[in-house]
Parts: sequence; structure tokens; C-alpha cells
Amino acid sequence: MNSLIKLELTRALRNRRFLFFSVIYPSVIFLLVSNQTGTVDGTGLSVAKYVMVSMASFGALTAVLMGNSERIAKEREGGWVRQLRLTPLPGRGYVLAKTAGAAVVSLPSIVMVFLVAAAVKDVRLDTWQWFALTGAIWAGSLVFAALGVAIGYLASGDAVRPITMIVYFGLSILGGLWMPSSSFPTWLQDIAKWLPTHAYAALGRAIEQSQAPHTQDIAILVAFFLLFAGGAAWLYRKDTLKA
Amino acid sequence: MVSMTTTATATGTPVVGFDQVSKVYGNVRAVDGLTLALHPGETVALLGPNGAGKSTTLDLLLGLRNPDGGTVQVFGTTPRQAIVAGRVGAMLQSGGLMDEVTVAELVKLACDLHPRPYKVSDVLARAGVAQIADRKVNKLSGGQSQRVRFALATAGDSDLIVLDEPTTGMDVSARQAFWATMREQADQGRTVLFATHYLEEADAIADRVLVLHRGRLLADGTAAEIKAKAGARRVSFDLEGPIDEAPLRALPFLTSVDISGQTVRIQSTDADATVHALYGLGVYPRNLEVAGLGLEQAFVAITEAEEAKQS
Repeated sequence: MNSLIKLELTRALRNRRFLFFSVIYPSVIFLLVSNQTGTVDGTGLSVAKYVMVSMASFGALTAVLMGNSERIAKEREGGWVRQLRLTPLPGRGYVLAKTAGAAVVSLPSIVMVFLVAAAVKDVRLDTWQWFALTGAIWAGSLVFAALGVAIGYLASGDAVRPITMIVYFGLSILGGLWMPSSSFPTWLQDIAKWLPTHAYAALGRAIEQSQAPHTQDIAILVAFFLLFAGGAAWLYRKDTLKA
Repeated sequence: MVSMTTTATATGTPVVGFDQVSKVYGNVRAVDGLTLALHPGETVALLGPNGAGKSTTLDLLLGLRNPDGGTVQVFGTTPRQAIVAGRVGAMLQSGGLMDEVTVAELVKLACDLHPRPYKVSDVLARAGVAQIADRKVNKLSGGQSQRVRFALATAGDSDLIVLDEPTTGMDVSARQAFWATMREQADQGRTVLFATHYLEEADAIADRVLVLHRGRLLADGTAAEIKAKAGARRVSFDLEGPIDEAPLRALPFLTSVDISGQTVRIQSTDADATVHALYGLGVYPRNLEVAGLGLEQAFVAITEAEEAKQS
């Protein structure tokens, strides 16, 4: 399986467009929207700090969601998944290799946002906070990696890209990764706080505030992970029976 | 079904054993009570018209689908176990390839995954893809892709090679080169099973031919035996004036009669006796020709006879 992961990585690193969108693009947006000074209401965090976590989360989300759903759908239809089933690679090996491949690309996209924030916007945190942030955002991205796999097995053909886009932008915007969800109308805030992206960014912000992450956020992330991973496993098995 | 011979002696566990295997899609019986055994070292052609159940049979053999009834065994275990043990190398018609990687990278992956791999450079050379090793997989022609699939199927020391219509998309010379490569595989003692609709391939390469029709085995024997089964000879002649069909259809040893215009084409298991009886009818056949049947006609004759029986 390691050789498949290696090959998935080689391919991901060769794809300049994908690298640009997942590694460079979040940092660019960070620079564009972190210009305001002052703090974000109700958090006590400077705009730069607040947006840094949003964009690191957004970058990781992009890396794990965008690459996989479309690829899996395409390779399923093209018969590559079928071809792999004629090798000793265990059935779940394909999905694990895809997830591992995405995780390796998502790490630089997180670190890149941090580097840019520290260098250009002078964001300062304790050493433990930097490590905890990286770890939390990286681990949290697994939730969305599972979602990407599920979409890849659910949708096919021309449908997979629009579905991925709707989910991606929907989760990013409503979850408050692009603008603080406190700027939403109340009814929308009530919906937004149950989204996995909202809990995801809240995790990072709690670390920035030197607080322990809220139990509710962790519970939401775990629940969504179980939902997405369970759905992906179920869809994968269904697809296998179809051959 | 008439079983004629098995070319290899049936000792020990068969390479592939199908026992009363059925697969149903909706109300179509794609495979219908199929029983067969392949023995070590055989080169077997799986022949049948489109929709005969060839691909489903191979899917069942490779564990890509589960049978609705009966059992499929490969080397005495489940298909999946046989694949995990590296005993089966397979090339599917629908086998996609990973995009945006090179031929060499993909073949290396197949070698890495096989428990008893060959050297990547050897696999590339043998499949005839060494000169396109650095080419991206998604930039290949149809024939080149087929060769890459073949390379993936032969990346390691497998005992059974399964090929589903392997020469689709290849031109004549590529096809010949392909079968030369495949023969080397068979000469090393491997069992080879290939599905094809090119009958000349089955005739030239297989030492055993299985004819599949509507999911059932219609014939099982050497190419020569299949031809004999279908009626050994073709007899054709022209008659003048109105043709009285009934006495022609009553000729002995006939397997089929086709009358179009003034030309009569018949197939006979004993052409000498048929022609003798023809003259006995008092007609004067012109342009009389007696010829052996190709595998293609034999195949058509067998499947048509089966269609007639069923309707």
C-alpha cells in the first residue's frame, strides 16, 4: 500500500493547479482579508489571528475535499478501482492511500498560512500553540477527507464536480471560514454552529485563546466524522458489489 | 452440452473450478448453471457472441462479482485469496489506468503489489512498452494501453493469466506481437484463459475452446473438435429452375440448409454421403463446391442451432 500512497503523492505534487489551489491560494486570501486591525467581536482575537485559523482550516479543507471526490468518481468509472481489485492490495487500501495522499498535501497548506501570517502579519503565538494548532487542524481535516471519499463514491460523471463545489463553498461560507459567522443573521448563525466547518475553525480558535477546545465542537466533529466515514464505507461496499 | 475432451489430464486441484454457477441481473440470467474446470498448463479460449456472458464469467472467476448460485474456486480457494496469493494476473477490457503517472511508475506499482514480482525493466520489455516507459498513461493509444494492461497482468510470477479481449484496439501486427508474448507466458507452464471474439485467435492459439452462449456452455473441446461438432463440411451449388426445397432438406447428414436465389448452401457432417444422395434426387447441381468449415462458421452453426432449439 505504501507504494500506492507514494504514487498518489507523486501525482499530487505534479499537479500544479491542484497545488496552487490547496497550498498557495489560502495564503493569498489570508493576505487579502486580514488587512483590518482590531479584534473580532466576542473572541478577543486580532483579525489576523482569527483569519489565520480560518484560512488554514480552509486550505486543509480544499486539499482533502477537492482532490479526492472528483478523482475517486473518475477512477471508479474509468475502471482503475476495478483494476486495483485484481491486485493483492486490500480493498480499503485505495481509500486509505487517497486519504493519506490528501493529508500530506494538506499539511503544507496549513503551514504555509501560518508562515505567511507570522512573517507578513506579525502573528505571534506560543510554541505549544503553533504545534497544537497544526495538529488540531491537520487531524480535523480527516473529517472532510472522509466526506470527499463519500462524495466520490456517491456521485459520478458530470455530477461530482458541482456537488463537490456546492458542499465545499457551502461548508466554507456557512461554517464561517470566509467571514466570521457572528456577522450572519441570527437564524443563519443557529444553523451554522452545527456545521462541521464551524466546529473545525472553533477548535483552532480555542487554542489561540489558550483555552481547551469546547466539548460541543469536538462532539460535532466526531459525529460528522462517524457519519462521513460510515457513509463512505457503506457506499464503498455497495460499489464493490456492483463490480 | 457435449463435452468432448479435456486436453490436460485432470489431476489434483483444477486451476479454476465452476460448479453450477449462476449470476442473474434483473431477469437476465447472464451465467446459467455453468460448470467447468481448467487444468494446469492449458491455454483456453472463451468464445461467444456479445452478451453470451463472457465478461460476467471472468468477473466471477476474479471475484469482482459474487455468484447468485453455485461456487467458484481458483486453485482450490476463493478468487480473492488466489489473487492475494499472487497466483492470478488479469487484464480486463474495462480495466482503467491511473491518470497522470508514467507507464514505468504504474508498472512499478504493480510489481510492488505482487508477492513474487519480476524486475520492472523485464516486465516493461516483455510487454513491449519499454520504449514508452516515460510516457504519461493518459497519453497512450488504445493498443499501447492494452500493452500496459498486459504488463500489469504479468508483473509477477502468477500461475493463471486471465485476459478479456486483450487485442481490442490493436492493429494486425500489434496483435501478432501480442500473441507471441502471450505464447511465451503459456510456454512457461502458465494456464492462460482469454475471452475473444476474434475466432482466428482462438483457432490459432488455444488448445481448448469453450463456447459460451446465453450464459451456458455449448461446446468444450479443441478447435478441431468444435469444427467437427458443427458439421465438418460446407457444400454449395446452384440449381436451375424452381427449387423444390423439401427433398433438399431431407438429405442425409445435414446440419443446416440455406437457399438464396438459385444457390443452395448446406452444412453436412458427411459431405460425401450428402452429395451422393443429392445426385440421387435427379437434380443437376452446378458449381458444386465442398469445403471445410472454419471455426467462425462452426461457431455460428453451433449458436444458431442452439437458438433454433430454444425458440
